Amino acid sequence: MPKHYRPAGKKKEGNAARYMTRSQALKSLQVNLSLFRRLCIVKGVFPREPKKKVKGNHHTYYHVKDISFLQHEPLLEKFREIRTYQKKVLKAKAKKNEELARLLLTRQPTYKLDRLIRERYPTFIDALRDLDDCLTMVHLFAVLPASDRENLEVKRVHNCRRLSHEWQAYISRTHALRKVFVSVKGIYYQAELEGQKITWLTPHAIQQVFTNDVDFSVLLTFLEFYETLLAFINFKLYHSLNVKYPPILDSRLEALAADLYALSRYIDASSRGMTVEPKSDASSSSQSNDREESELRLAQLQHQLPSSEPGALMHIVADNNKEVEEDEETRVCKSLFKDLKFFLSREVPRESLLFVLPAFGGMVSWEGEGAPFKEDDESITHHIIDKPSAGHMYLSREYVQPQWIYDCVNARIILPTEKYMVGSIPPPHLSPFVDNEAEGYVPDYAETIKRLQAAARNDVLPLPGVGKEDLEDPQNLLYAGVMSRAEEAEAARNKKKMAELEKQYHEELKMELRGSAVDVAPVVEEVGEGEESVPDAANTQTAQDTSDMPTLLMSRKKRKLYEAMKKGQKKKSEAVEALEQRKKRLNAGQQ
Amino acid sequence: MKKRETANKDQMRETKSKSKNVSVSVKSQKQKAVVKEVKPVEKEVKSLKEEDLLLDSGTDSDYDGDSLSGSLNSDDFDSDIFDSEDDGSQRETEDGDRESSKDEVHGIEGSDDNDDEGEQVDSENGEEDGSGDEGSEQDEVAEESDSSEDEVAPRNTVGDVPLEWYKDEKHIGYDITGKKITKKEKQDKLDSFLATMDDSKNWRKIYDEYNDEEVELTKEESKLIRRMLKGEAPHADFDPYTPYVDWFKWDDAIHPLSSAPEPKRRFIPSKWEAKKVVKYVRAIRKGLIKFDKPEEEPNVYLLWGDDSTSDQKSKHLTYIPPPKLKLPGHEESYNPSLEYIPTEEEKASYELMYEEDRPNFIPTRFASLRSIPAYPNALKESFNRCLDLYLCPRVRKKRINIDPESLKPKLPSRKDLRPYPNSCYLEYKGHTGAVTSISTECSGQWIASGSTDGSVRLWEVETGRCLKIWQFDEAVKCVAWNPLSDFPILAVAMGRDLVILNTELGTDEEQKNIKDLLQLGDLPEPKAAVAAIVSWLPDELYGGIKIRHFKNISNIDWHRKGDYLSTVMASGETRGVVIHQISKKVTTKPYKIRGLPVSAVFHPSRSYLFIATKKNVRVYNLLTVDEPVKKLETGMREISSMAIHPGGDNLIVGSKEGKMCWFDMDLSSKPYKTLKNHPKDITNVAYHRSYPLFASSSEDSTAYVFHGKVFNDLNENPLIVPLEILRGHSSSNGGGVLDCKFHPRQPWLFTAGADSIIKLYCH
Repeated sequence: MPKHYRPAGKKKEGNAARYMTRSQALKSLQVNLSLFRRLCIVKGVFPREPKKKVKGNHHTYYHVKDISFLQHEPLLEKFREIRTYQKKVLKAKAKKNEELARLLLTRQPTYKLDRLIRERYPTFIDALRDLDDCLTMVHLFAVLPASDRENLEVKRVHNCRRLSHEWQAYISRTHALRKVFVSVKGIYYQAELEGQKITWLTPHAIQQVFTNDVDFSVLLTFLEFYETLLAFINFKLYHSLNVKYPPILDSRLEALAADLYALSRYIDASSRGMTVEPKSDASSSSQSNDREESELRLAQLQHQLPSSEPGALMHIVADNNKEVEEDEETRVCKSLFKDLKFFLSREVPRESLLFVLPAFGGMVSWEGEGAPFKEDDESITHHIIDKPSAGHMYLSREYVQPQWIYDCVNARIILPTEKYMVGSIPPPHLSPFVDNEAEGYVPDYAETIKRLQAAARNDVLPLPGVGKEDLEDPQNLLYAGVMSRAEEAEAARNKKKMAELEKQYHEELKMELRGSAVDVAPVVEEVGEGEESVPDAANTQTAQDTSDMPTLLMSRKKRKLYEAMKKGQKKKSEAVEALEQRKKRLNAGQQ
Repeated sequence: MKKRETANKDQMRETKSKSKNVSVSVKSQKQKAVVKEVKPVEKEVKSLKEEDLLLDSGTDSDYDGDSLSGSLNSDDFDSDIFDSEDDGSQRETEDGDRESSKDEVHGIEGSDDNDDEGEQVDSENGEEDGSGDEGSEQDEVAEESDSSEDEVAPRNTVGDVPLEWYKDEKHIGYDITGKKITKKEKQDKLDSFLATMDDSKNWRKIYDEYNDEEVELTKEESKLIRRMLKGEAPHADFDPYTPYVDWFKWDDAIHPLSSAPEPKRRFIPSKWEAKKVVKYVRAIRKGLIKFDKPEEEPNVYLLWGDDSTSDQKSKHLTYIPPPKLKLPGHEESYNPSLEYIPTEEEKASYELMYEEDRPNFIPTRFASLRSIPAYPNALKESFNRCLDLYLCPRVRKKRINIDPESLKPKLPSRKDLRPYPNSCYLEYKGHTGAVTSISTECSGQWIASGSTDGSVRLWEVETGRCLKIWQFDEAVKCVAWNPLSDFPILAVAMGRDLVILNTELGTDEEQKNIKDLLQLGDLPEPKAAVAAIVSWLPDELYGGIKIRHFKNISNIDWHRKGDYLSTVMASGETRGVVIHQISKKVTTKPYKIRGLPVSAVFHPSRSYLFIATKKNVRVYNLLTVDEPVKKLETGMREISSMAIHPGGDNLIVGSKEGKMCWFDMDLSSKPYKTLKNHPKDITNVAYHRSYPLFASSSEDSTAYVFHGKVFNDLNENPLIVPLEILRGHSSSNGGGVLDCKFHPRQPWLFTAGADSIIKLYCH
């Protein structure tokens, strides 16, 4: 009797009843594969891994519930309707019935995905949690060239662009940006919204190329969903700021490809318009007169006013009502570039910097029309330039490379600009996403930054409660004075979880420094034992034997796990070792 | 449209008839000229006709086309002319002769190419003036001839038949008089080629297969062809878009074309239209047709108004959020630290790797932000992520974040499990071949060893002195001491022989007993089946007993009472294991065994025999010679050795794949524990008689010592702790440690190596 024999009339049970293969699913849904794919993508249905694969290992299995979920999806009916509609149009055209074809084209069935979004993400937090892929994709398509061959319309590219700018404007406005990393693949941003860390990648602002090994229909289906999702999220976010969505932008700025700036102006203007505040500022008084006028007019007017800097406006708005909600990190981020004025040279990535600088409280202008202030403004403190040499140099400002800004943002301090001067090769740009201690290798520049951070904290805030950063520097621990203060700081602060973790780590560190013998001692002892009992055998061999012995008695599963873990550890340490060797070689080469 | 077409046709016909008239007139003129023999007039006519054609044929496309086709293919030409000229010939009543008139026309046709030919023809006509009908026919033949100046080829008259009928004939057809027209000589290919190369007008020449001649096209004709190829009207002057002239006078028609009265439908409103209107009206009333554009609903709205509704539980399966992408490390930076950039050699080594192992991202460094190029894999990576999102099964997996060392089982300290053998104390050297087997005497004072050099040696344990050597002429496979202390005799297996040796160790009384025992007096009559495989013989060499078997012996074991001895041979059925009784000199072959036996061991306290075949161990009762009592499934590929715990309830089995399993026979017929301790074959396993120790020896030239404690409490499982790996033997000939035995009283282990050394490990 075969293993899976089921008597006639008896229902299927277990995995056979709970899972079906993809082709079974297609049959039961009566759809073709491409439609099934689209449905799966928009509904977020993915294959499952049954414990026992009844039909064999090379099949994809879907849960029966998932498939019945698709079966009852109204969208399925809509897709069928669209298909029949397309057939009708084709038929009319084939029969030269232009009139009918024209008539049919006006009655194209449409569908909406809002219900699906609500279904997939019942709460706003859920949506934010899954936003990474969405943002990355939308930002990628925002820089793709429209293409007929790939069925990528100009309208969609523009929509992606608009959505990404709206998102960036919100992040920048609420100072939610936390980390920026310029990689070869593009620029990574990390923001924190409602406790969710959202990371996305924007490609460099260079013409992207199409590759042939990509199925665009899949990408476009994803994009369709993501566009809708991001639009709803933006709506919700703008709503929370009391700003109308979709925003109406200053057409002039838009034409100058300064959408982001236009957007941030718009947000400031409208959120200020909503919150009634009698300020004796020139801009606000003029604005109160124009309040009845359209938003567009407002934005334009504001633009003409000299004192309506985006940064300044933000401060005004932020000061009076938002302060309560902001946590400490946002406050730090907001005031990083507080009193600094930046001017962007032509060749620097303007879009990125226009996003990053206001997010950290800086004021920006750029070369070109529509800029809030001109290059010859005396109050400019930093001029961002990415050329081997600057032409005319003002003495009142510092000329730095754009990497300085990103490094400052990641370090949360204003770094010294000497290394980032025009024409010099800047110090290495380090990833803010790496936990150096866990990796086991700390690049030199990371240590330098840590020291600088510690110094900055001491300079600015000599209070014990805030001097936590200096602890991060293992070098500083060697100095007795700092040690004592660090201990005080530890005693003072017990509120934050992060801090606690840090403390734990530092205690470990101290332990290590103080009595490394304590940790090593048991090992030594054991080795000693071996030596006592087996005087003839080599020490290393004995130690090896003693460590290997217990693995004999492990169950196979545990042994495999153990071996895999050991392998992982070995790989990691090998990578670190390779890095250290390279560094050694480099140092040798320099000397 | 149609009207216009018909009008055009009319016009064409008209012009055609006109041209016919012209040709007819020309013809008649020509006839006259022929009659009058006036050349100049003829010439005039020719020129006139030519002009006429040039001018006229602008309107007469059919005619020209015909003439052209005629010159290319005279068949069509002829038939066409026949058709078209019918009226003309009928009109010419005065002529009467149809043929001649037709031929005349031919002549005209032909002559429009060439004037000179006409002249020639005329001259001919002149000559044969009075010759009547025949003459005229001949002249017509001449007239028909083509454009070539020199020769006048006779016209073919075979008609519209496939020309391949004449392919093998010498003639191409017949002329008008019925004479054969012979084929022209085929020109040499080279000559013809050269001729064509020389002739600048060659491109104009066309071969007329029907008449077997070359026709040269005139300029006009070639132009004509070109126009026709373009799909234009053949004549340059023809205008297909001339304004339509309605020749029919409509105004003064008195009578209508049809006398039918005007139908009723011309006077009543259309029913169909009314229906259509009603339909539209209804559609408008129902709201199916809307005139003002529908108001656009806002695309986006506040989807997550308040999250209070989120408490309701989803009816669907639990949602597994997609795993987030790995965040980039330092190496992905556009300007990483220098140590992250691989050297050229490392990059080259990546090329040699398998594609799966190759790192998919190689760090690179750019001097400034503006020099970063577009990332070529951006779309590809995005696409792969999409594929992962909708094609990959998602499973929630718990990632264990523990120290791997914590996975190791907590074992009691080895210090507490002392004593156990852990270091080499003595080496017994003397053998010249690999030591295959050792055996300890029950008092622990002596050991015996057998080697492949054919010697059996007796050693004193504590001093390492070799007391005695017995030399045989075959490699010794196995040695075993009698377990009784008052019978110090040795069983030695070599090849097919089993020899019982007197070691001459005991007291005189004991020696006497032994001698009695080893006396082969009158042997009892063996059973026939036994006699076929075993024969008892006296050993001449050393005065013992020699038991000769029918096959090579692989293993021997003494019963605890010292009277019985089992031997194992690699043979199936009932002959694999035999038991000898020394006191009675009797051999029995007790069991039918499935498979080839590997080892047979007596139970230490009860009357059971354990027989190991390649995969399983079976337990037989010695008293009831029957089916096995128990079967133990080892799950190993090939068993090599077996040992029984002195308690009798536990068993270890060593296999050739380096695994060792411990059976607790009270627990299960499956192994209680399987240990994979050796990378190579296990050669032997052994229990200690009194200490809770067991050991395994292997061809990887190591021996393992384990602590194996069996508890009296049945609820407690045996405790197994690996204690020591004993190294020291060197591998030779692929063999490492070939045998291991414990000292009967002390926690010492003897190992016999393939390097011909016996080692004693003490605590």
